[in-house]
Amino acid sequence: MRRKETPMNDVLRTAKNCRHYAMCKIDFLGSGVCRSGLEKQYVSFYPQGRMDLYAALAEKRIPVTPACVEIADSCDLCGRCDYQCYFVTEMRPTAVMRALKEHIRLHLAGGGEVLAPEKDVILDELRQIVGNDWATNDRAIALTYAHDPCPVAEPRMPGYVVMPGSTAEVAAVVRLLNRHSVPYAVRGNGSSVMGFVMSAGAVIDMGRMKAIAFDEKNWLVWVGAGVAAFDLQREALARGLRVNVAEPAALVCANIMCSGIFSTFSASYGTAADNCIDAEFVAPAGEVFRLGDPAAPNLFGFRREDAPLPGICTSAAIRLHPVTDDESSVFVPFAALDRALAFARELAMRRIGLAVAVLGGEYISTFLSPTRALAAGVKDAFRDKLKIAYLVLVIGDAHALAAVKKMGHPGFDSRLMRILNLGLPSLVSARWLELIGELSDDEPFSYLGLDHFPDLAEAALAPSPAQLVRDVDPELRPFFAALYSRPEMTDPLWLNMFRIVSARMGREKHVVAWIIYLPIDERLVAEIDGEFRRIAERHGLKNDFGFITPLDNGKRCVFEYDYYLDQNDEDEKSRMRQAMGEAGMMIEKFTAATGTVTWIRHVFRQGFSRKESFLYPGAAAGR
Amino acid sequence: MKRGDAPGDGPCLLTGATGFLGGHLMAELLARGRRLVIAGRPAGGESLADRIRRLLGWFGMQRREAQLEFLETDFLKPGLGLGSGEYERLRRRGLAIIHCASDTRFAEKNRAAVMAANVTGLAGILELALRSRARCFHLLSSAYAAGIDHSDCREAPVRSLRFNNPYEESKALAEKAVSATCRAHGLPFTIIRPAIVYGDARTGRSLRFNALYHPVRSLLQLRDIYLADIRENGGKRSAASGIRLEDGGGLRLPIRIFIPREGKINLVSVDYFTAAALAILERPEDGAIYHLTSRRPASMTRLAEFAERFLGLSGVEVVIGAAGAARMRNPAEELFDLFIRPYRPYIADCRDFSRENADRATGGAQPPDFDYAIFRRCMEFAVAADWGKKLF
Ligand SMILES: Cc1cc2nc3c(=O)[nH]c(=O)nc-3n(C[C@H](O)[C@H](O)[C@H](O)COP(=O)(O)OP(=O)(O)OC[C@H]3O[C@@H](n4cnc5c(N)ncnc54)[C@H](O)[C@@H]3O)c2cc1C
Ligand SMILES: NC(=O)c1ccc[n+]([C@@H]2O[C@H](COP(=O)([O-])OP(=O)(O)OC[C@H]3O[C@@H](n4cnc5c(N)ncnc54)[C@H](OP(=O)(O)O)[C@@H]3O)[C@@H](O)[C@H]2O)c1
Ligand code: SF4
Repeated sequence: MRRKETPMNDVLRTAKNCRHYAMCKIDFLGSGVCRSGLEKQYVSFYPQGRMDLYAALAEKRIPVTPACVEIADSCDLCGRCDYQCYFVTEMRPTAVMRALKEHIRLHLAGGGEVLAPEKDVILDELRQIVGNDWATNDRAIALTYAHDPCPVAEPRMPGYVVMPGSTAEVAAVVRLLNRHSVPYAVRGNGSSVMGFVMSAGAVIDMGRMKAIAFDEKNWLVWVGAGVAAFDLQREALARGLRVNVAEPAALVCANIMCSGIFSTFSASYGTAADNCIDAEFVAPAGEVFRLGDPAAPNLFGFRREDAPLPGICTSAAIRLHPVTDDESSVFVPFAALDRALAFARELAMRRIGLAVAVLGGEYISTFLSPTRALAAGVKDAFRDKLKIAYLVLVIGDAHALAAVKKMGHPGFDSRLMRILNLGLPSLVSARWLELIGELSDDEPFSYLGLDHFPDLAEAALAPSPAQLVRDVDPELRPFFAALYSRPEMTDPLWLNMFRIVSARMGREKHVVAWIIYLPIDERLVAEIDGEFRRIAERHGLKNDFGFITPLDNGKRCVFEYDYYLDQNDEDEKSRMRQAMGEAGMMIEKFTAATGTVTWIRHVFRQGFSRKESFLYPGAAAGR
Repeated sequence: MKRGDAPGDGPCLLTGATGFLGGHLMAELLARGRRLVIAGRPAGGESLADRIRRLLGWFGMQRREAQLEFLETDFLKPGLGLGSGEYERLRRRGLAIIHCASDTRFAEKNRAAVMAANVTGLAGILELALRSRARCFHLLSSAYAAGIDHSDCREAPVRSLRFNNPYEESKALAEKAVSATCRAHGLPFTIIRPAIVYGDARTGRSLRFNALYHPVRSLLQLRDIYLADIRENGGKRSAASGIRLEDGGGLRLPIRIFIPREGKINLVSVDYFTAAALAILERPEDGAIYHLTSRRPASMTRLAEFAERFLGLSGVEVVIGAAGAARMRNPAEELFDLFIRPYRPYIADCRDFSRENADRATGGAQPPDFDYAIFRRCMEFAVAADWGKKLF
């Protein structure tokens, strides 16, 4: 029997649906970031933290504390978070911020108690290391570090939250916590959303360590543990360079540590240890070491197990890549996965393209569309009218893109993609697409080879920012129309470098991503894809193919399949837990049967290892 | 004719009844009181019986369902995919067989499927015909099984070795298989070869909207793209392509239709096809081949004029020459050229189809000349039926 949903008002529903992807902590739209967040740094002072805090107060899960009052007061209702959050989730947190302020005002006006945190000797010692502002045991702050939407992680309220500002402070904090036997979790922006960053002891938030130092002579940039991918990429691009990063809000050091950073650019830039040249760590006992030091612990190796954290990465020397001024993109359509995979593999084997990915209809429609409703229509139009089930994205220089053309694959180039993107609402209702689809049955996608097709598409779709945002919330529409008039917002090259649209995959529901490394073998991928689908469907969960990017010149690939979850629906969470158990077993079964499949679960916390060690697990077994 | 002497009364096995021509034959046979065993397949979650019921509704013949039996078959499986008991019972009935089922797609990429359906699948039906000592076997073929080696096409076995597409080739192979097998086993047979069949000339009604309809639908949708651009978005993009509204309100859409040579398009209406085919089925001549074709096929120039008039367009021009040699003037012209590519062999056709057998069988009945009144009726019906989407 399904449990009935507890009735929730809209504001509380918004608050409880915060995805914790931390997009409101970076200035990805150029509209600015919450001022109090930038100043106070704890996540509690960002919209994300206020969403959690309001939900907890409204449900009477915590008392009003001094930090509560400060968090509420410091919000000036500027509305920036509406732009950011709406872009990703279609939610408007400002209503929650207002409700939080009102809650505290009424509480204080009614003579409500403000519960001061208890005196604590460990806290005093922590403050001696990091300074008074950067360690706390206030429950309002602790609460915002206590959970994430992961369906298998229980909330854990930390005793302390610490924000060290330097390697020495990190080392001292670690030694102190060890001395008092206080367990701890290390936290970047918490957007791994897998329950990794919670602890009943202390949470060490690395967000203050934001140093970026370019060493262009050595093609590297030293990045502090608090630097987010988006900010690093922006700095690199300003110098005509590029780094291999993934989610924009992910902190770069955290992302390497966690998953080794895989992106569409991993097709050429690699993953895991490929991403960095050196790194600095604080070991579990508190001593500092450098990865490049011959005496350092060996983080390049890999053990197929749920590994413990080998240390806290305080900074990393990230590899820089050159950028040429003739780079662009093309999306090559396919009606079936096997042909898309074969093409992606061929590109990788021939070393064509910088970024390569096979994308499913869910991603394409969700990433391109500013609203959920539009995304649903676009997904149907691609599948039913254009007969496109998969698109292979290729980013490369003029030579690479010419090679793709020469291989006989017409595609959507960046001009056509921009036309399509800005004309999506017309695309959904276009009658002439039916003819194009019927024609595709005879000569697949031959229209893309026509010289004038983009002109026709332009006349037919009347692309414009105003059209694209016509079903966006009327109050936000002018902002979004201006946003989409910026060329980069519809440029696949820029969007892949900065990845600002991929968090939209969690817009409808929170996403649980399955990631595995395996050979690009059409049959194997189809089997596993089918198994993922069957399991999710058995449990009534929304699910879809995510993407595949070739690795190591097409010998292997990284494959993402996604399950989706209403994070507030207990029944759906329980079904998700069952599905996760089955999917995990299914992956392990394939791992045992093939000897070539690796589940990312075993890579977690081993992201500094050489990719070869987990891409080719047979090497160790074969000796 | 030996075993086929009196085919006019007994029940028949009909394949392809869910299709355009098979459906019309079914309706006419039912109207004449015949009992039919319909062999076909379910589709889109609908059983064969439900699909046929829907068709009967379209023909206004729901009352005739009692004359039908349904057999869900797969021609590629042994025993047509029927259970052994069911196949045996069918075999014992010795029904005349009218085989209309065919994969009618042209594209090279569908070659394997087309050959499987039209040649391999045929073998299973022929086997049933032989094993049941069928009264007669009628193959619905195509005038275009003639191939492209000869322009004088007689009602005789195919001589060509070259074809426009795998569909034509498969139809030629099917004819060969039917005549060789039937002759070898003394099984009476006929082969009926229609040209391009469009809707009912009297009412405009049709079940399929490809062939003749496809270019008109393409033009209509191109027209609507530019009308919307002009009316809703100021028409700058249209103007850049030389597309504009004319004083009378029509749209000037300069599109050249490239055809390789001055040829014709051989059209017959479905009402003519049905009447002629029924005449043949009721008095078949063993081994005869029948061309259900037009003696006075239309020219592409005339059809283009019809389309212009119907759609309120000007600027559509038929040009003799290779499309590739001319630079495309605008996006509409280029896309239209792509749309009609599969049909190009049929809109500039120089083949001449003799029709002595057909004339003898039908008392000289000819298909109606394709004039604007017929064109308009057919296209009005097509538009109202949303090119097939709102048929039922
Ligand atoms: C929508 C979405 C899409 C994603 N797509 C991708 C993708 O394409 N590619 C990809 O690689 N990842 C992807 N991820 C995963 C996510 O970006 C990574 O897990 C990343 O690590 C999150 O960064 P964070 O700063 O939020 O890390 P957190 O969640 O804070 O931490 C991640 C892990 O690293 C540990 N950690 C954090 N900082 C340090 C440190 N300084 N030293 C040691 N350990 C540390 C934490 O304890 C935790 O175990 C995606 C996530 C989401 C939500
Ligand atoms: N229409 C014309 O202009 C024209 C002209 C010349 C000759 N012909 C010939 O006339 C016959 C009928 O044509 P049509 O226009 O009626 O075609 P149609 O509308 O496409 O119908 C084809 C019929 O064949 C069946 N069929 C197709 N593939 C099959 C397969 N693999 N297995 C079993 N059944 C299959 C279809 O069944 P489903 O509905 O289940 O798919 C349908 O009943 C064909 O032999 C064709 O070559 C037609
Ligand atoms: S859903 Fe994302 S953008 Fe919105 S408040 Fe939460 S973390 Fe910030």
